[in-house]
Amino acid sequence: MSVNKSKPVYSPLRADTSGRYHLLVGMGAGAVALNRVLSEFRTEAPAALRLTQVLYTPNPTATAAIEAAGEAPTELHSFADVTALHRFADTTTPHSFADADALLRELRSMLDRSLMGTRLYVAGPESFIGRVLQIALSFNLNKDEIRAEHVGTLARRVHCVHCRTRTEDVRTNIVRCDGCARWLMVRDHYSRRFAAYMGVMIDAEAPGELPPLQEVFT
Amino acid sequence: MNDAQTLAVEVIAIEQVTPLVKHFTLAAADGAQLPAFSGGSHIIVVMNGAERVYRNPYSLLSSPHRLETYEIGVRRMEESRGGSRFMHDTLRVGDRLAIAHPVNLFALDKIAHKHVLIAGGIGITPFLAQLEDLHHSGASYELHYSVRSTEHAAFSSQLRERAGDRLRLYYDSEQQAIDFDGLLSAQPLGTHVYVCGPAGLINRVIETARGYGWPESHIHWEKFSAPPVGDAFDVFLARAKLNVHVPPDRSLLESIEAAGVEVPYLCRGGVCGFCQTRVLELDGELVHNDHFLSDADKARAKSIMPCVSRARCKSLVLDL
Repeated sequence: MSVNKSKPVYSPLRADTSGRYHLLVGMGAGAVALNRVLSEFRTEAPAALRLTQVLYTPNPTATAAIEAAGEAPTELHSFADVTALHRFADTTTPHSFADADALLRELRSMLDRSLMGTRLYVAGPESFIGRVLQIALSFNLNKDEIRAEHVGTLARRVHCVHCRTRTEDVRTNIVRCDGCARWLMVRDHYSRRFAAYMGVMIDAEAPGELPPLQEVFT
Repeated sequence: MNDAQTLAVEVIAIEQVTPLVKHFTLAAADGAQLPAFSGGSHIIVVMNGAERVYRNPYSLLSSPHRLETYEIGVRRMEESRGGSRFMHDTLRVGDRLAIAHPVNLFALDKIAHKHVLIAGGIGITPFLAQLEDLHHSGASYELHYSVRSTEHAAFSSQLRERAGDRLRLYYDSEQQAIDFDGLLSAQPLGTHVYVCGPAGLINRVIETARGYGWPESHIHWEKFSAPPVGDAFDVFLARAKLNVHVPPDRSLLESIEAAGVEVPYLCRGGVCGFCQTRVLELDGELVHNDHFLSDADKARAKSIMPCVSRARCKSLVLDL
């Protein structure tokens, strides 16, 4: 176990009825967590649903994996989750996006128009949460305005400390940098500003000497 | 903080700015620069009165960018225990005072996108220094200042000069009131609200902001409680092995200090928690007057803020 304390801590999303407006943001299996929050509002504070917006994008990696395996989408996978979200269409229409970039663009413009009293809820893979929190931070949202739940893959976004390229969706202990092709060790040191884990060249002192490649972040 | 760590200052100017408020300018007795501070800081002024020592917190209102002098504004409190009367009636230009180093318990949030400042009466003082910081950082802000009438609008020309049309004045005499709902219901994300003034104003702002969903981290307030008077009681200091009598018009902290026992303090107004003291034994009840301990901690009665809190008890033993 790493002793690095920079790794973010997440907890299950709960409806925060002290807020006035609610912005729910999710990717892939994160829809399950968003649905839980919407259900809570339905029973505890139904009027809040009128001031609630949902932004959702499927997780392309997970979706491709399911299709490749020929599996029917299960409750935990993205397609079913979108359908589940639509159960709330009477009060809350989810805005669906083709990918995370499109969703984050809309999130930015929504936050720009949002008022004090807004609560942000985010659920999905860690790299997605990190990018959402990065935007939230730029709007001076504090810890008591944001809730985040990690659902799905542990795949990491890795920031190369040498060339500053971000390599996405890293599942292995070491990874070849998308930018400079160095072999990087994926550290537990997390940067909220970069929304990524630090990757440091692993064979700088003994070129070519690499530990065995292992899938550790699944 | 204790009195050994104070600075010696000289009063170099006194100006009556409203019927109730005097403006004091202090300089280091040795002519040196005073310690740096940020807008929202206060100092403790130690006053050697004829019969007793007063130690009152006052916000610094001068610019944090000028350290040749410190300036404070003091409202005369008729009903109080005497500190502000000493400042108003006894202190003369050329007199010396001891002050504690500035401490900031009411700082501006450095990464806020917008600041909404709300002052009532003498509560304007910390904002005067903060306006200097805001002016230098170029941050977006608005200042709402509520006073009894034009003659009570302390420092208004200075404020207008600095804040321009970002200043809005409200006169009770003309039935002008701050529209709290209008002010707090539609602020952009990343706004912080700061309030200083009478308890009623502070509570109104806090309650209204919470009602519109503002989280605690965006609501800032400062209220120095003068130590309230109460019934006399006795306290035993376990380590000093000393019995101390607390008369009705003296605080527990002042009584302990008068007995020669030093207690570390910073704000002396029930805000900072620095003087928190363990209660070892209690036969009776504590009268908590601070804004620091949680309601649960107050109910537990295992610690007390001697700067403003008292006891109604047969016996009380403190870990001092």
